[in-house]
Amino acid sequence: MHHDAAAALKLTALSKHFGRPAVDGLDLTVRQGELYALLGPNGAGKTTTLRMVAGLLAPDSGSVEIFGIDLAANPVAAKQNIAYLPDEPMLYAKLKPTEYLEFVAGLWGIEAADAAPRACRLLDWLDLSRHAHELTEGFSRGMKQKLALAGALIHAPQLLILDEPLTGLDAAAARQVKDLLLEHVRAGGTVVLTTHILEVAERLAQRIGIIEHGRLIAQGTFDELRRQTNGGTLEDVFLQLTGQS
Amino acid sequence: MNAGAGSALWLLKHEIRMFFFNASFGAKKKPARRGIGKGGAALWIGMFALIHVLAFMLLREIDAGAGLAPPHALVMGVSGLFAAAFSLMMSSGLRASVEVLFERGDLDLLLSSPLSSRGIFSVRLAGIVVGIASIYLFFLTPFANAGLALGHYRLLGIYPVVINAATIAASLSMLFTLGLVRLLGVRRTRVVAQVIGALSGALFFLLAQAYGNVAGSVRQQVAGWFAPLLAPGAALGPDSVIWLPGQAVLCNFRPLLVLSMIALAIFALTVRFTHRFFVHGAQQAVSLARVAKAPAGGPRYRFGRSLAQVIIVKEWRLIARDPQLISQVLLQLLYMLPLVFLLLTKGGERLPGLGAALTFLCASLTAALAWVIVSAEDAPDLLRAAPCAMRNIRRAKLIAVAVPAPVLMALPLLWILTRNPLAALLLCGTVAGSVTTAAFIAMWCARPAARGDFKTRGKGNVLGKTLELLNGLAWSGLAFLLLMMSTAQQSSPSPWPLFGAAGLAVIAAAMVLFGYLSRTRDN
Repeated sequence: MHHDAAAALKLTALSKHFGRPAVDGLDLTVRQGELYALLGPNGAGKTTTLRMVAGLLAPDSGSVEIFGIDLAANPVAAKQNIAYLPDEPMLYAKLKPTEYLEFVAGLWGIEAADAAPRACRLLDWLDLSRHAHELTEGFSRGMKQKLALAGALIHAPQLLILDEPLTGLDAAAARQVKDLLLEHVRAGGTVVLTTHILEVAERLAQRIGIIEHGRLIAQGTFDELRRQTNGGTLEDVFLQLTGQS
Repeated sequence: MNAGAGSALWLLKHEIRMFFFNASFGAKKKPARRGIGKGGAALWIGMFALIHVLAFMLLREIDAGAGLAPPHALVMGVSGLFAAAFSLMMSSGLRASVEVLFERGDLDLLLSSPLSSRGIFSVRLAGIVVGIASIYLFFLTPFANAGLALGHYRLLGIYPVVINAATIAASLSMLFTLGLVRLLGVRRTRVVAQVIGALSGALFFLLAQAYGNVAGSVRQQVAGWFAPLLAPGAALGPDSVIWLPGQAVLCNFRPLLVLSMIALAIFALTVRFTHRFFVHGAQQAVSLARVAKAPAGGPRYRFGRSLAQVIIVKEWRLIARDPQLISQVLLQLLYMLPLVFLLLTKGGERLPGLGAALTFLCASLTAALAWVIVSAEDAPDLLRAAPCAMRNIRRAKLIAVAVPAPVLMALPLLWILTRNPLAALLLCGTVAGSVTTAAFIAMWCARPAARGDFKTRGKGNVLGKTLELLNGLAWSGLAFLLLMMSTAQQSSPSPWPLFGAAGLAVIAAAMVLFGYLSRTRDN
């Protein structure tokens, strides 16, 4: 395990209120090279947390550190290392995949020599090469999600923040995405993802955090979480911890 | 009107409701209540009453020949008005056909219901007819009613003629759209139909402007060409079918009957022969994805552009690939053509007015583009998540916004430069000023929106729209006064235009200041 690894992401007393607390004094550390699954019931504050990490929402209080860089103090440097993939892909209907990847690579300031082979590899890997010259408006949900993932990976981020990355994907596409995430972690990258498909978290994640009412109520490996409860599957553990069983 | 669920009448009510919602008569800000509210209804009723009063005052001055056969000059005039209205009806019909075929997205639901495809198509077409007719009935029937009150019963022909013309326009539009689908495929049809719709709406205005602005000798020449054709017994003489609409409007029984029969026949034949193809077109629309042939050698990329370049290229690509947006912006540009024509023919004598109009159009075009590029950003989160300062992104977007209008103005400006360099320089200044300030105001007052809401972009952002309008007017007024002073022949010109120009410059600066002070947090 990576107990001594430096923190890829460190949240300290992070809070955000929308009339009521959405995230309430959240402390969380994700180590480099780990795949961390953040679970929680609907409205628990998962998406709000990820949006604050991606720099899309300013926290009311607390701090976000990405590889030791304070997001509030130095947002440009902190964002250079991360990619954020929301549940609704951030795409342009009237752009082709090649143009979309050119655009994202331009936003992250990637050199052509690095971006071109990476784009070809990603489109091949995600089985999108034969659609590379079609407008994305005609793509299926799964194809859009895969293209957004390619966009997220075009600048080789060290930290991937994924909100429900498998929503709407068929079995084959879901397998491709899971393989890609595992490959990213094997290569030393870090992944933080939310999912309602508990089996995915159980199989992929090295550590799992469970969040409710904006607070982290449990965290650890799957075995550690089982020991905190009466055992069973992750679904059983999750329902016991969130008091829904 | 009670209609059983699933009946043709019930479906027609649904169609009419959808037509008006899509024509933006509904209150889009409040999705829970989309119908016309009490205030809106009162406004429409008030406007309807006002048109009645205006029609009454106008008709009182005109002898419409109550009870007598109308003079041929009147028939010709009314036929001309009919042609203008019909071109606008065709424009509405084309837009509505594209909308019901490709954009509403409810055809799968309707075609999977136990209603016949023929019935659905008939009702859909009837919905377009009712939608088009009601707009024209609203504006034209006050003339019929006022005419009746004044004894000009002949004007009652407006009622059936509007309904018949709407039927013909809707049927022809649908036939044309489906024909384009067969010839060009769904994707190109959307582009072509939307552009033709915009053009046909502007056609009459352009022709009228062109005729009104040509020299008297040219008009006499044109009249000379047509005179033999308009003589009794000639092709366009008083007995020609070309005047049939005018005679029908004036309640001549036979022309009215013929027009009604033509409308009914076109409607019935359209339904009879095209409802199957309508279903086919609808199915094509569902699978609209363009399957482009991949170029040999795999995907080609152009990486390595700067941040500003990728943003500008992205913005212009998105606009260039949005036919609906282009047709709407194109419509604005079309109205510039008469101005350019005037510039070329009477540039010297009307330069101040033309300069003012060109300056205003540049400001309007820039504000429209700014709305598309800044407010209607499709993936704002992607830009916010990127490791670059938002001010750099906004700067690049401003360049994308500000470049097109001056580029379009380059030719007229060059033409003026050859005639009056000082005037050209002044106009350059006002165009640059109006474009820059319009872009900044639109950026500061931007509210997130969807591209599809372009036509209703003023709603919900009254302050931004007002600043945008006043800014355009101030700059165009400034252009007028500066050009007037630059072309003045007097040796001791009046100081008042100078004071006026200074005042307008202050107003323009105040609009920029208001825009800056009302900027949103993101900006």
